[in-house]
Amino acid sequence: MALSSPTGSRTRMVVLVMASVTLVVMGLRDVPVVRDVREGAAAVVSPVEGAISAVTSPVRNAWHGITDYDELKDENARLRSELAEVDAASIGQTDAERQLADLSASLDLPYAADVPQVTARVVSGPRSNFSHTLEIDKGSDAGLAEGQPVVTGGGLVGRLSQVTGSTARVELITDPEFRVGVRLADTGDLGTARGQGGDEPLAVDSSMSPQAEVDEGAGVVTSGVDRSAFPPGVPVGTVASTREGSGGLALELVLDPLVDVDQLSYVTVLQWQPG
Amino acid sequence: MNGHRWVPARAVVVVLVALILQISLVSDLRVAGAVGDVLLVVVVAGGLTGGVDRGATYGFAAGLAYDLVVDSPFGLTALTYALVGYAVGLAGAALLRTSGWWPVLIAALAGMAQATLFTSFGNLIGVAYPFGDVPTIASTMAVWAALLVTPALRVLWWVHGHSEPDRVEVLLR
Repeated sequence: MALSSPTGSRTRMVVLVMASVTLVVMGLRDVPVVRDVREGAAAVVSPVEGAISAVTSPVRNAWHGITDYDELKDENARLRSELAEVDAASIGQTDAERQLADLSASLDLPYAADVPQVTARVVSGPRSNFSHTLEIDKGSDAGLAEGQPVVTGGGLVGRLSQVTGSTARVELITDPEFRVGVRLADTGDLGTARGQGGDEPLAVDSSMSPQAEVDEGAGVVTSGVDRSAFPPGVPVGTVASTREGSGGLALELVLDPLVDVDQLSYVTVLQWQPG
Repeated sequence: MNGHRWVPARAVVVVLVALILQISLVSDLRVAGAVGDVLLVVVVAGGLTGGVDRGATYGFAAGLAYDLVVDSPFGLTALTYALVGYAVGLAGAALLRTSGWWPVLIAALAGMAQATLFTSFGNLIGVAYPFGDVPTIASTMAVWAALLVTPALRVLWWVHGHSEPDRVEVLLR
């Protein structure tokens, strides 16, 4: 090991920390050069990532076979019960059939029918423990732009946060930075839904009184109020519970998202123009 | 020594390979929603084999590379990796000779420290990463780091040369 003086090491560390903090500040201020470099890196890395992912897919499949065993067992029991109830003779679904179902659902949205749509394949999921994004295989070449809403037949998935020529990154509704204006489908009460990370439910800051009663299971859709980044009426989730918001002045809703963002094969990007 | 000429190139190759491995394979191998971190293991190995300078430098460089391809606040991974690399360098210099299990323990602690630092700093700058996720993420990262640190040490010897065999070989006994 090459030894250096303690003073030299401390100086180097201070320089690196200051450089890191400077980069954090530049990133938070969305300095164009940072954005450009990140977009350039995404354009370079995506094809390599895709190629390596294809090669390593047997490893991933084996891993999921092991780690999802309990979940698969529970699901299997549930499916057996449902099969008995409907007395249907069914066969196990293949991955291709599931993907086809996803694709069909994406092509046949029950909402936002008048908004131009682009269907894209999900290339990869979140890249780190603190990342809540997906990569898709369409970009600006297909007419996609930052901010456009991303949905499936089931409801809202997120929005485009970064777009290159042939790929785009989707910020998921579970991201702690994600915000969307919503309303209760039955009463029309407005609020703002936000992600809480990981597998956590969404939280909705509403303008309702803390004493207001909201039915569990009530549907929540995008509000689409004036100049909203999302079209109105896109299903977001169902109310799981309610609680007093911070400050005690309004009601906070806990929302189960309708779309399981961990299980997506295809998504649809809405080429929505706010306002 | 002629080999020194190739050290920077080898180091870049190691960081890039670790990055590609991380985003194309390891990030999909989730347990309870959390994944391991190959780049952090490289940083830990850097600190153990080269002390605070190498640990901090690998931390900054690997963190910066990771920051380019993830959506978390830019520079935050570089900052936390550099701090962890520096701390590992300090711990390694103080403890290396005591036992062959120290690298594994240090790597596990480094995984926990990085997850905690990242969540804390993220919240400081206004990103509401849930602290409730930290135990799962930290323990997953710790296990991966402990498992991979031994091969990572060998990779770092390949990059920088095995300059202190009497000292570092003790680690693996």
